[in-house]
Amino acid sequence: MDFKHLASKIGLDEEEFVELVDLFITITLSDLDKIKKGVGENHPEDVAAASHSIKGAAGNMGFDDMFALAKKMESQAKAGSLENFDAYVLDLETQVKGLAIN
Amino acid sequence: MGNTHPYTVLAVDDNLLNLKLIERALSKEGYQIFIADNGSDARSIALEKRPDLILLDIEMPGESGFDVIKKLKEDAATNAIPVLFLTGVSEVDAKLKGFDLGAVDYITKPFHPQEVLARVRIHLKLSIATNSLIQDQAAKLRQVTKAQAAMLPLPEEHPHAKFGVYYKALQEAGGDYYDILNISGKITGYFVADFSGHDIETSYMTASVKALLAQNCTPVYSPTESMKMINDVLVEILPQGKYLTACYMHINRITMKLTIVNAGHPPVVCLPVKGEPFLIKSDGDVCGMFSDAHFGMESLHVSKGDRFFIYSDGLVESAEDKITWASGADSLLPVYKTLRDVPYDRAPEEMISQLFGNNACPEDDVVLLCIEV
Repeated sequence: MDFKHLASKIGLDEEEFVELVDLFITITLSDLDKIKKGVGENHPEDVAAASHSIKGAAGNMGFDDMFALAKKMESQAKAGSLENFDAYVLDLETQVKGLAIN
Repeated sequence: MGNTHPYTVLAVDDNLLNLKLIERALSKEGYQIFIADNGSDARSIALEKRPDLILLDIEMPGESGFDVIKKLKEDAATNAIPVLFLTGVSEVDAKLKGFDLGAVDYITKPFHPQEVLARVRIHLKLSIATNSLIQDQAAKLRQVTKAQAAMLPLPEEHPHAKFGVYYKALQEAGGDYYDILNISGKITGYFVADFSGHDIETSYMTASVKALLAQNCTPVYSPTESMKMINDVLVEILPQGKYLTACYMHINRITMKLTIVNAGHPPVVCLPVKGEPFLIKSDGDVCGMFSDAHFGMESLHVSKGDRFFIYSDGLVESAEDKITWASGADSLLPVYKTLRDVPYDRAPEEMISQLFGNNACPEDDVVLLCIEV
């Protein structure tokens, strides 16, 4: 992922952007824990709230794939369905952890 | 918002990353940023720091952005702070609700930090312009207040008129007015009026009435003739729908004759040297509305020491308690009795203190004149 390009798109320098990526990883992994817990306890509203948080942060950082997936998760959870969430969570986790080794 | 202090922005979002992004973008441009990740903290910070602008996320766990803006707008300390809310691009209902609750604009999420900066700038400019307009208008109204006060004669300037006064305008441009007219050495006119409305236009009307009184309240005209002539001019010059209720009392201290001309005004109270207080009721049309207006007129012989009270409806009416002056005037008669031993120049203050307490505020403008023969 081209951090320099993403940073310039939102008016930051690369160093600032990397700091925010670290923060994004921490917050998103925490949100993913909430999603896992919500799925385990069958609480779609908690899952929707955590998905909403990831969606907003990913969108603002320019992480389009994560934004699209979190958006899909939020809509589905808001509709009361937690189907395929194990796969979604795994997909997101992989993408988030991929940022760390960028 | 002074030039030496940075503009302050409170950013509210439950996602710390979004807060950091906003903080970075705005602090680089010299803004001071406060952040809150929940509604309750946001309201506390808004109250304590009084930021120049608030960026508020709508969808937050617990207290939502809607709850926050509602409470901010209900509090006089925070209701003037412009609020921009952050919301999803497709959430039309949320946008409309935000505007309904008093937000000035919205920023769609995901947001671009540079767009946030641009919107913050434009709304701060608007806020500065609005505040400056308000300050301007307030300064003009303060000038009007001064001008109005300068038009009201003080008892010490007219010792022969033997009167005391209480005057209180609730707003900068008061609707009540009074004047003292030195018709000749021992003949004095006392005029009290209540204009419809409390706006700047009213203050110009008071200046016109003062000039008309000076021109028409002379020994040449009877009190009724004076009022008729003033009415005829006011019918011509007052804006549509504007009028005044008025009471003109004329005392000749040589013949000891008192004449009252009433134009739709509450009744004068007489507190005789001996005897019970009573109302001098006389119906009449309001002033400035009809060229063929008919005014109530009463004449009576008076004795040295008799007192008369002329007042505006704010003294006896209460919208809260649904009391009109027709019933309110009667109910106050016992209070006037208690003023018998109070010097006439202090009687109005004493009356107000008895009616409203020392700190309470009347619901409307109030003027109260106490005149001793």
